[in-house]
Amino acid sequence: MVDIGLFTQIVINGLLLGGIYVTIGVGFSLAFGVLEVVDFAVGEYVMVGAFMGAVLAPLFGAEGIFAIPIVLVVFFALGALIQPLIHHVTTGDRPHPLLMGLVFTFGLATFLRGSVLTIFGPNNRDVPSSLLTGGVAVPGVGTFPVVRTVTAVFGVTALVVFMYYLYRTRGGMAIRAIAEDRTNARLMGININRYQSIAYGAYAALTGSAGVFIGMTFTANPGMGLQYTAFAFFMVVLAGMGYLPGVILAGIVLGLTQSFTAVYISGNLVLLVLFAIIYLVLLVSPAGILGKGEWAT
Amino acid sequence: MTRKHKDRRTFLKSVGGTATAVGLAGCAGLGGGSGRDYFKLGAVTSLSGDLRFGGEVTQRGYDLWADTINEEQGGIEIGGETYEVQIEYADAQSNPSTGADAASEMINDGADAILGPYSSNVTLAVCPIMDQNSMPHITGSAESPQIWQEGYEYSFGTIPTVSIIGNEAASALLNLEPQPDSVYITAVNEPFSVATGDSMQAAAEEAGITVENYEQFPRDTDYTNVVSAAQNADPDLHLHGGHIGSHVNLVNAAEQLGYNPDGFLMHYGVNTGSYKDGAGAQAPYTFGATVWIPGVDREGGVLFDSPQAYADASQSAYDTAPDYTQAGSTAAGIVFQEAFKELGAAPPLSQDDKDELIGILEEIEVNTFYGDVAFETGGEYHHNNINTQPLLIQLGEDGSPTIVGPEESATGEANYPVPAWDER
Repeated sequence: MVDIGLFTQIVINGLLLGGIYVTIGVGFSLAFGVLEVVDFAVGEYVMVGAFMGAVLAPLFGAEGIFAIPIVLVVFFALGALIQPLIHHVTTGDRPHPLLMGLVFTFGLATFLRGSVLTIFGPNNRDVPSSLLTGGVAVPGVGTFPVVRTVTAVFGVTALVVFMYYLYRTRGGMAIRAIAEDRTNARLMGININRYQSIAYGAYAALTGSAGVFIGMTFTANPGMGLQYTAFAFFMVVLAGMGYLPGVILAGIVLGLTQSFTAVYISGNLVLLVLFAIIYLVLLVSPAGILGKGEWAT
Repeated sequence: MTRKHKDRRTFLKSVGGTATAVGLAGCAGLGGGSGRDYFKLGAVTSLSGDLRFGGEVTQRGYDLWADTINEEQGGIEIGGETYEVQIEYADAQSNPSTGADAASEMINDGADAILGPYSSNVTLAVCPIMDQNSMPHITGSAESPQIWQEGYEYSFGTIPTVSIIGNEAASALLNLEPQPDSVYITAVNEPFSVATGDSMQAAAEEAGITVENYEQFPRDTDYTNVVSAAQNADPDLHLHGGHIGSHVNLVNAAEQLGYNPDGFLMHYGVNTGSYKDGAGAQAPYTFGATVWIPGVDREGGVLFDSPQAYADASQSAYDTAPDYTQAGSTAAGIVFQEAFKELGAAPPLSQDDKDELIGILEEIEVNTFYGDVAFETGGEYHHNNINTQPLLIQLGEDGSPTIVGPEESATGEANYPVPAWDER
């Protein structure tokens, strides 16, 4: 007999967990769609963002959420600086540009993780925010943890903003043109380097900010990145490579699958079930659940 | 042609000569030669990977022993000569197979003895290597009972198995008033944490308390689901086996969902800085298990005069308060030091010396700041030191631990039932 109270709570948990994944998946999908870079450093941006939140929170009266504007600016600048390096190793005469990008970002991830370990040590760090503590209990439905709800809202809002920028502005049109065909975009007078830097900067800013939220939800730990890198890959494959609107559905599928498997089957089988879903999607619909992404080849 | 042959011969001779010289030098460097004037200990621990926090704790413990004896006594005295201690580390990367490789490398490197890993799963991989190579090995960490049940001849441990620590700490908690009717038990699915969960389950069943559920899950699970299931069962107490990251995630999810049992018991590490820094406002009132804290009532000991003297030395050297794993690691070094003295053989130790050392370790009794160390011989705790008294501690508002059980060892009253999250 299924307990209705527990069932609805698991649905809430799954949806909000999906919201957390959306915050990471949006930027990752954007970076892949526009720059064609499979960024292995995505999880480490989350981790560095969480540590920045832990460091900056005391400056704002132990309210990590106020650190987010600073993290947005710093990570945008960082991303805009890193993108030309990625562009350099993935273009020109180099063979296997996708692999070169993967190796470069893998090195970047190792560097970031090592740097944080050296500076902060292996300890966990709290990212405090008294404004986002506790949960809101809705009678007959369940409890909505405040920090997770705000994180999910942040992720969905970011997605809507990106969608608006991409489909309703000239800058967005330029980025889509670059994603479609770089050579033709250049011939149309689009400054490719500039727009790629903007896209990668926006991705880094969003991912770093997601890190602050994730730090507030869980904790900041130097080893946390790899998990989020894996989930970002899951998201992009499920959503369809480079297809932004699919990210929300992918996040929901991942979150709900994880929650229901953990409670009603076994926590030990969560990854097995998730991988099984990924394999099935790759076999049946390589362009993602909605069939609108690039083919995973 | 002749000249060419001669050149080639000369070349081959010089290459051969160089190779031989390098080989001999290598052997000498590996400690295979005689005349080394220091004790060389290998230490295999997790300096990277998920368990690097604990790896660094053991490293601090081993280093504090070596640095103290070298600085204060010039090393270990054997037959009127003093020999410094040098520890060489190998990174197990929190991975059992890497740990086993690292252990083999240490043995081939000519170590006199080995100081053990942090985690149980790496230790379980390292112990067979020690037996195969007849290498004395003491671990200052690793609490899974499996390690001692296997009956390894060359491995010893200064910290009691968690089947004792977890059981006695849980029993002390279950005896607090008002006595609980039910518990919910969770554990991360790894050898140490499962052993911890098992010991807590045994304690609850011995006390006649209902175990609502005993759930195991992987380290990176989402804890809202764990908490939701527990909240639905509405237990009086929540007992959890895991490492520090899992404790932090559990209390954070409990706070977010308003899950308020009368108390949380976590093992291992609630009195470490990592737990307090990670859990932040959620850390106070957490119950934990330990076998040693600086405030424990004990006097005297080899190398360090008291628990507080040891804590001061740690604070001075590393700017951090030691926990029982660090203390147990230092105690492992002290036990080797006393055993080396009793053996009376100068380094490097021969295989006969190492075999004799095992007999000495089986008989040894050492009075340390950490407690009296003596190893069991035979039974399910073979070569484990089970003399140290497990304690139930609780974190106060400021994060400092107080011993609240068992009754005869308590230094303060437990704050129990603990306040609900929104009343703190």
